Amino acid sequence: MSTTKIQLTFSAKSAILLLMLKKNVLKIALIIWMIVVIVASFMYAKAAAGFPGETSRIMLFHVPQAWVATLAFLVSMIASIIYLRNRSVHADLTAAASAELGFLFCILATVTGSLFAKVTWGSYWNWDPRETSIVILLMIYGAYFALRSAVPDQDRKRVFAAAYSIMAFATVPFLIFILPRITVSLHPEDTMNPVDPQMDIRFMLTFIGAFIAYTGLYIWMIRLKFRALRIEENLTEGIEEWIRD
Amino acid sequence: MDQGLVQIMIVNLVIWVGIAFYLFSLDRKISRIERENKKRK
Repeated sequence: MSTTKIQLTFSAKSAILLLMLKKNVLKIALIIWMIVVIVASFMYAKAAAGFPGETSRIMLFHVPQAWVATLAFLVSMIASIIYLRNRSVHADLTAAASAELGFLFCILATVTGSLFAKVTWGSYWNWDPRETSIVILLMIYGAYFALRSAVPDQDRKRVFAAAYSIMAFATVPFLIFILPRITVSLHPEDTMNPVDPQMDIRFMLTFIGAFIAYTGLYIWMIRLKFRALRIEENLTEGIEEWIRD
Repeated sequence: MDQGLVQIMIVNLVIWVGIAFYLFSLDRKISRIERENKKRK
């Protein structure tokens, strides 16, 4: 192969690589940002006071996961309202995708929470009001998926699911914010108190960084899930048309 | 530096890189299917 040909192949490959990087710049930034957050969680942040050993570091993962779960359920409710107003299929797909992600992040928050409980309270599960309320929340959203798969008619399924999603979200503020605060709970609240935060500045910065990273991850995942559901929807419509014809 | 913390950090990093790689490849697959669907239409 001549030198000119090698140079051309090399520049073509570099151009493709540059184009790929340009198209995925936000995704690559998120991947790097999350790596920075993980490293900072263990190397930069100092463990918060009032917790045994290094256990407070789990908060840097547990709290953003719980935040994303709440955000996802909220997005699902808003999309459901939009669906009921406009009958837009895209809104229904967004509601379904967001509820699935909310469920996933809720499970992750429960797992990280029970790891913390094991180290702090000596048992993975204590039936604390916070733990009990999260189980109820998971059951409520579990029923949402059961409802979606139980109704064969597409339009009826969407209307039922949208109505259920709105009602399900009505329980979220009560189960996440109110119930654990009106009962005696082992769950630590003082460290999160915004009036008098006992967090070190490094811990606080990493905490904010983790919130941004997890929110970015949620946006990436919901877009993927939405696009996958849209392809599935198109495929189902195509098959139905083909059967009719 | 605590060796235990470093080990947990490495495990977390490996898990994240795995998830990121999976999401990235899924993104590319979905984009390819979308392009093919557009061409067919």
